[in-house]
Amino acid sequence: MSPASVSRAFESAVRARRLTKRFGATLAVDDLTFEVGAGSVFGLIGPNGAGKSTTFSMLAGYLQPTYGSVEILGWAPTAVDALRCRVGVLPQDAVLPTTDRVGEFLVHMARLQGTSKNKARESAERALDDVSGRDWWNERCGHLSHGMAKRVVLAQAFLGNPDVLLLDEPTAGLDPRVAWEVRQSILAKKGRSTIIVSSHNLNELEEVCDAAAIIDRGRLVATGSMAELTATHEEIRVKVASAGPNEAPIGPTRLAALRALGDIKTVDLDEDRLEIVVRFDRSRTDAETVIARVLRLLLDEQVRISGVTKGRGLEKRVMEIT
Amino acid sequence: MTPLSEVSLVTWREVRKSFRSAKGAALAVISILGGGAMSMTFAWLDRLRREQAANIALAQSSTGIDPHRAQVELFSRWYGQPNMGTALADCPYALWMMLVATLWLAPLLVALMTFDAVSAELQRGTVRFWAVRARRSSYLLGKALGAWLAVLAVSLAMNVIVWITAATVGHQSGFYIVGWGLRFFAVVVPVTAAWCSIAVLVGSQLKTPMVSLLTLCATFFAFWVLHIAAAMTKNGWLNWAYPSAYDALFLSPDPGDIGRGLLGIGVIIGLSIGAAIFAFDRRDL
Repeated sequence: MSPASVSRAFESAVRARRLTKRFGATLAVDDLTFEVGAGSVFGLIGPNGAGKSTTFSMLAGYLQPTYGSVEILGWAPTAVDALRCRVGVLPQDAVLPTTDRVGEFLVHMARLQGTSKNKARESAERALDDVSGRDWWNERCGHLSHGMAKRVVLAQAFLGNPDVLLLDEPTAGLDPRVAWEVRQSILAKKGRSTIIVSSHNLNELEEVCDAAAIIDRGRLVATGSMAELTATHEEIRVKVASAGPNEAPIGPTRLAALRALGDIKTVDLDEDRLEIVVRFDRSRTDAETVIARVLRLLLDEQVRISGVTKGRGLEKRVMEIT
Repeated sequence: MTPLSEVSLVTWREVRKSFRSAKGAALAVISILGGGAMSMTFAWLDRLRREQAANIALAQSSTGIDPHRAQVELFSRWYGQPNMGTALADCPYALWMMLVATLWLAPLLVALMTFDAVSAELQRGTVRFWAVRARRSSYLLGKALGAWLAVLAVSLAMNVIVWITAATVGHQSGFYIVGWGLRFFAVVVPVTAAWCSIAVLVGSQLKTPMVSLLTLCATFFAFWVLHIAAAMTKNGWLNWAYPSAYDALFLSPDPGDIGRGLLGIGVIIGLSIGAAIFAFDRRDL
C-alpha cells in the first residue's frame, strides 16, 4: 500500500460509492455516496422505509449491492479474512442462538475471529463486562430478556475491540435506563473505533454522532457533520414566553433592534413555537458571542426568556427535509 | 485463520446444537427407541428364520435344499450380482436387515435433522453473526459436516442397539457381530454424507424451516421415484443419482466397485456442496 493510500485509508474508514439496491421492482437504496472518517461516529438517519437498514446491511456485507460498492478499511465487506477482528456488527433483528449459553456463544464468536482458545474466554468476558452483563455468562441466550439479549449482541460486536463498529438500531425497544446504558457503552468506544449507527432516535444520534447521512426514500438528502446538519454554527433559537394572554411575546421594534446587532443575517419570529430564530455570519462571529449579545438586548427589553438553543436540532432538520 | 479452522469450529458447534435443541434431543430419543424396536423385530425375525432353516435342514436330506445356498441365492438376487451372495452369505441377518432399514430411512432422518440447520438461521438472522467472521463457504461446509456427524451419531446409536441385541440373542460372537456391524455401518457413512449434502443445498436456499422440510421431503421423494423408475425401466444409470442405491457397490468384494461407489457419491457431494456454496455466496442474508 502506498503512503498516499495509507493516509487515505486513515481519513476514511468506510466508503460507499453509488450504492444502489433493488428488490425486484422496488428501489430500496438509490445511488448513495458517503464517507465516514476514521474514529468518528456517523449516523444513518431516516424515517421508516427510508433504506437505512438496507444500506446498513450492504455495509455489513449481508446484502449484495445491485450497483455501486462499499469499502471498509479499504476492503469489500465480504473480505472476511482481511477484516477479521477489525469489524464488529450489531445487526438489528438477528436472534441469538437460543440453545447456546451466553459465554459459550461469545467464546465461539471470539474464536472465529482468530482468537486462541485461552484468550477467547478472556476476550468474551471483557466484551460482556463492557455491556455490564458479566452475570449472564451461564444463561441460555433463549432465556434472556430483550434488553439483555440486545446487550449480548452488542458484546459480540465489541469482541476484540474492532476498528469499525456497525450498529443497527442499538437501542430500539429498550427501556430508557437500558437504552442509556447502551448509549454509554457506545460512547465509551468513541474515538477508539469508527462507529456507524443507524437509528430512529434522533436525540440519541445528535448526542453520540459527529456526522450523519439523512436518507429518505432510498436517496441521500443531506450529509455532513452534525454541526452542519443542525446549523449550530450559523443559527441560534431563543424561546420566549408571552407577556400575557393575547399579547405578542416580542414586538417588531425589538426584532428590528436584534437585526441591527452586528454580524446578524436574519431575525425571524416563529409565532407557533414562540421562538426567535437568529441567523448570523459564521465567518465573522460564533454562536456563543451572538447568544450573549441577543440575550443582553432581550433582557434589557424585559423579554421573558424560556430557553436558548444552538442550531435547529436534528429532529427539526430531519422533519424539514424528509 | 484458515478455512479449515473455520469449518471445524462451525462443525463442532453444529453437532452440539443438534443434540442440545429440543428437536435434536427428541429425534435422538425417537431414533434410539426406534432402533430398539427394530432390533427386537429383527431378532424375532432372525429366530424365526433360524427355526425355518433348522426345519429346512431336517428336510434337506429328502429335498436336497441347502440353507447356506439359499442365503447366497437371496443376496445374489437382492443385489443383482452373483458375487454378492457369496460375500454376504455368512452375515448376521438382523444386521443386514438393519442396514437395509437404515438406508431406506436415511433420507427421512437426514431431512428431519438438517431441514432447519441453515434455513432457521436465515429466518432468524442468526447467520449474520457468522457472516462477518467466517467465509460463507466455511459456514455452509461446517453446517453440512455438523449435520452429517449428527446423523451418523444417531444412526450409529441405532445400529449399536441392534448389534447388542444380535450378540445377546443370537448364536454368533460379539466380535463377529461388531465386525459385520462396522462393515455395514461403513456403507451408511458415505450414503448419509450424500443425503446431507443434498439437504444442505436445498435447505440453504430457503428461509422458512417448514418450507425447507417440505421441499426436502419432496426432493428426496423425487429421488426415490427416480430410483424406482430406474428399477422398472432397467435404466441402471438412473440409480447413480440415488445415494441409497450405492450399497451394492460398497458391499461388493470387488475393490473396483467400492472405488466406483466412492466416485459416484463424491460426485453427488461435490455437485451439491459446490452448488450450495455458489448460491449461498451470492445470496442476501
